[in-house]
Amino acid sequence: MSSADQIDALLVGFGHALREAGLSIGTDDLLTFCAGVAELDVTDLMDVYWAGRAALVRRREYVPIYNEIFQRYFFDNDISGAAEHQKKMKSSSNAGATVEIPNTEEGLPGEISPDEVKLGYVASTSEIYRHKAFADCTDQELRQLRRLMARMRVTPPKRRTHRMTRSRKPATIDMRRMVRESMRALGEPRELSFKKRKEKLRPLVLILDVSGSMADYSRNLLQFAYSARRANAKVDVFCFGTRLTRVTKSLDRRSPDDAMRLAGESVLDWDGGTRIGDSLRQFTREARRSRLGRGAIVVICSDGLDRGEPQELAEAMESLARIAHRVLWVNPHRGDAITYVPATLGMIVADPFIDEVHSGHNLASLERLADRLTKVG
Amino acid sequence: MTSMTSSFAEVTVGSLTDDLRDEGYISDRGLSTTLLLALRLGKPLLLEGEVGVGKTELARTLAKMLGRDLIRLQCYEGIDMHHALYEWDYARQMLFVRSLSDAEVATSDEDLFGPRFLVERPLLQAVRAGDRCVLLIDEVDRADDEFEAFLLELLSDFQVTIPEVGTIAAETRPIVILTSNRTRELHDALKRRCLYTWIGFPEQDREIDIVRSRLPQVGPILASQVVAAVNKLRAMELEKLPGVAETIDWTESLDALGVQSLTEEAALDTLGAIVKDRDDLEYTAKSVRDVLS
Repeated sequence: MSSADQIDALLVGFGHALREAGLSIGTDDLLTFCAGVAELDVTDLMDVYWAGRAALVRRREYVPIYNEIFQRYFFDNDISGAAEHQKKMKSSSNAGATVEIPNTEEGLPGEISPDEVKLGYVASTSEIYRHKAFADCTDQELRQLRRLMARMRVTPPKRRTHRMTRSRKPATIDMRRMVRESMRALGEPRELSFKKRKEKLRPLVLILDVSGSMADYSRNLLQFAYSARRANAKVDVFCFGTRLTRVTKSLDRRSPDDAMRLAGESVLDWDGGTRIGDSLRQFTREARRSRLGRGAIVVICSDGLDRGEPQELAEAMESLARIAHRVLWVNPHRGDAITYVPATLGMIVADPFIDEVHSGHNLASLERLADRLTKVG
Repeated sequence: MTSMTSSFAEVTVGSLTDDLRDEGYISDRGLSTTLLLALRLGKPLLLEGEVGVGKTELARTLAKMLGRDLIRLQCYEGIDMHHALYEWDYARQMLFVRSLSDAEVATSDEDLFGPRFLVERPLLQAVRAGDRCVLLIDEVDRADDEFEAFLLELLSDFQVTIPEVGTIAAETRPIVILTSNRTRELHDALKRRCLYTWIGFPEQDREIDIVRSRLPQVGPILASQVVAAVNKLRAMELEKLPGVAETIDWTESLDALGVQSLTEEAALDTLGAIVKDRDDLEYTAKSVRDVLS
């Protein structure tokens, strides 16, 4: 083995160490890295450091990981303990800001204030149910509500695409078309043609908490997925408890109940407690590789009771907010109050990255959400 | 590839830093090394960082330093091929068609959609200019993500296909610098084509250097006072953190008023040059003493 080969082997080994730490590094990146080091001074570790940072690090968030692995790999210096310690310090100082962390998964008594509806002369029974919290409904009432829900229509908002199409109404003049057409008329322009941008429906992504108390609320949102699908929008549905599972396929079933059951079969962790941050991180990791969720309306349904690290949730939400067009959060604990103050640690951490919080605890609020879904944009 | 990159063979990190400094751009080791690699390897350089830390300025300085033209493409929402690459000069085409006789019209298609009526936009200009230019694709995060896909194609091959004219390939590669303010995540595929670097706020000493090299008439005391104050501002929880550009603006405003040393009064008078958000302004005005202490 020549010394150049040895150096390359060393550098590639470093790349692999980074890969193990979770950075996505392709062979082409390694080639760039080696070529870069070859252009610089390989005996100068600072040069190696910067060549690697330029070629292998593609996000600012990865810089600390890179630094750590660099230290460990080239100096055999394990600073991970210190970093871990720092991280803990940070999250515990964040935790100091909590108002309350309920420790039960079940809905807390009193937290969902049952909306007492005054039963006067009301036009129809559906009006009565509209404001009654789902949690207080009898089975029969729920069945009726579901029928009403099935009638809700959701069409995601449109976005302008890059392509142009012919416009009947006056808009931008389509010179290209006009020149082409005037050629046919021997250079005599005949009439003005216009062009406008084509429009497309924004994709809708539902990320549903299916653990314990949240499953019922999540089921209600599935109705939106059906409705949006009918409008020809791209819809993706994910369920999570401790891990994220894609259940879009189950939407092929005709009824939401069937879909929910099928989704339930593919989700393995019904009672494992929720790890929202971890699940969202899985989602964003997936999204970064594909076009999933880009420019989409993302609806997350969860009560924000997170068992994972708050730091992780914050990072995942930040990255989600950047990928998605709008992030809506459905939290039944929000209730009907006009002013909303996030109460659980998860909601506090996620709050800066959420565009709107809805409660979805009764039909009226679901209707409001359906209405907003077609308008956010 | 060798012919494209050999011209930078004798440049080192140190000499590049010095050359940039001569043009008034104070770089640090990381940035210089990354830039040198981009030059040597012929790869585009993606600069991300806070607003006003000198991303655009680097491209400008580089062009000046190398004696090349700077071709700048400012991205914005809705930018498309016709703004970025090429467009036909329709008005002239129309006039041309009208001036033709009947017999000529049938055979004029080639003329009509030929180089004569082609309006070159920045990207096509850069492909044609090759290594005589520095191409700056500014604020690429503002463009739609379809535009990114289009850039991908260009950045990997440096060739452009115009259906009516044919393929135009760059003989030599231009130096390409992309900047992003990170208002949204760029697609990984685009990042893969580039070398990446994050430009943060400079350390205090380097920022003083920057201010002094930009504004040589300003005394060292004022420069260091301003930089210290700006660093305090950055540590506060402001909506919008002041960048280096704001530091320079502020120093310049103070200098224009004949201020020799930063006082509370002078700071309050000129606060608008550094804090550009109403809530921030109120907050800073209240705590101006802390900022200056």
